[in-house]
Amino acid sequence: MTPNVDTAEPVAASASPAPVSMRLTGIVQEYPRADGAGAVRVVDGIDLEFARPSINMLLGPSGCGKSTVLRMMGGVRPFGVKTPTTGRIEIDGRPCEGAHDDVVMVFQRYANRPDLTVHDNVAFPFRFRLWKKQISASMVEQRVKEMLEMVGLGGKANLRPAQLSGGQNQRVALARALVLRPRILLMDEPFGALDAQTREEMQQQLVSLWEQQQCLIVFVTHDITEALLLGDRVILLSNPPAKVTDDFTITERRPRSALWLRSTEAQQLEERLLRQLHAGAKRGQVRVTV
Amino acid sequence: MWNPYSEVAPATARRLGLGSVLTVLGLWALVCGVGLVGPAKLPSPWAVVHAFIQLSWNAQLGSSPLMEATLWSVSRVLIAGVLVVVIGVPIGLLMGASPRINATLSPLVDPFRSAPVVALLPILVMWLGIGEAMKIAFLFLGAVVYLVPMVRDAVRAVPQAYWISARDLGATPWEAVWHGVFPLARPRIADAITVAVSVMWTYITVAEYVNAQKGLGQLIQNARRFSAMDQVFAGIVVIVGLALVTYSGMVALKRQLYPWEVE
Repeated sequence: MTPNVDTAEPVAASASPAPVSMRLTGIVQEYPRADGAGAVRVVDGIDLEFARPSINMLLGPSGCGKSTVLRMMGGVRPFGVKTPTTGRIEIDGRPCEGAHDDVVMVFQRYANRPDLTVHDNVAFPFRFRLWKKQISASMVEQRVKEMLEMVGLGGKANLRPAQLSGGQNQRVALARALVLRPRILLMDEPFGALDAQTREEMQQQLVSLWEQQQCLIVFVTHDITEALLLGDRVILLSNPPAKVTDDFTITERRPRSALWLRSTEAQQLEERLLRQLHAGAKRGQVRVTV
Repeated sequence: MWNPYSEVAPATARRLGLGSVLTVLGLWALVCGVGLVGPAKLPSPWAVVHAFIQLSWNAQLGSSPLMEATLWSVSRVLIAGVLVVVIGVPIGLLMGASPRINATLSPLVDPFRSAPVVALLPILVMWLGIGEAMKIAFLFLGAVVYLVPMVRDAVRAVPQAYWISARDLGATPWEAVWHGVFPLARPRIADAITVAVSVMWTYITVAEYVNAQKGLGQLIQNARRFSAMDQVFAGIVVIVGLALVTYSGMVALKRQLYPWEVE
């Protein structure tokens, strides 16, 4: 992330988005088998390129390795395994190895600190030296306040996570990520644990946040509707070992209505995705019986 | 009745608890009253109360032997307790924070959890003599071998998600431990300290048996020597009472300090 100059920073983060690019080349991931005999291939050669701030949905069946790919982008590595096994990830043309501060991740498990208030949870990242030396305390205060307003928690700044609903907690986690103004935001099924209505609210919230503070989002989901509602681009991964089986863009403006979801365009896209998911599942079954 | 998840109203719970205590006291009084057991083996409740009053104020000396003994014991537990926390908690934190440190230190700590620390007393006497240092060291050792593994486990019980989340937000591994994991281990560490203090109360009499000059252990030891069973009982009641007071005080303090729970 580029360091911000305190005084030059606009109050609202609606400035033109910083350009960003991320490229994955020939990504293969293998994990050693539990019994030590050989390796299991989870990801089987993925090439992807993201060139501008946009919302990109990484869609695939459960356990297909989409989270593995996302974690690679974030530099989160499982202990003792080389990640990726082969292939390269570049951000702005620079190879990305290990943890780096170009990205922030949001998980289904929001991991808000139960002992801190909503305000202090959103300000939490600024306890780390990386940010502390870049951003002054008064600037932090301003950003946190702004962020809380943006996610609609301005009035709940002094409550603790236990006093909030699941959706509100996920909002805190989202605010805690966006307050860093990341150029790349990686989301791993962030709304997966929420009930249908809250999930819908959060999707709308994400869209409006993104309009105000554009960045490159890679969003992992196994929910086709979510992918169609949110994505500028939908990337479909197959059953493991994961490959990209489809990759298309959606030009419809956000927020997309339930009406649009019933339109011919959306229906066709949904059928296209379903067909490929089912085809993949059948291949999987054949492989099992053989 | 047979529903482990049902709740008992606080008033009912208090009544039931008081009832069982009174029942035991009643049986005790009955056994002594009808002379089933002689006073040399089991002093009657009123004899214990009498001994308690006697020990509370010695008119000849113009002082309270019981109060004096209590202060000695309390200050020993306090000093040893501070040492246990100041030394034990950081070691436990480091062991919990790093499996490498844990692998290095656990062979030195874990065996003593199940080993009789009392057996170390003669060694401590040989090394440190029979004075205060030995008594404090004994209390310290007895409690710290419980505390360290419990603090370590408290750290390890914090879900990994907090560490990963802090790392993702830009923390170094140590910062992720310091800001993301340790703070959430505090309630369990408070529990560990409570247990450690309880352990010290059980060891205090042993610590004060050797070269008994001051303290509740000495008081009990002396009374036993003169076959004053009523005084022995009075001393035990005081120790149990003190342990109970510290325990409930610490539990209340913990609830006050950490009213939240880790999901």
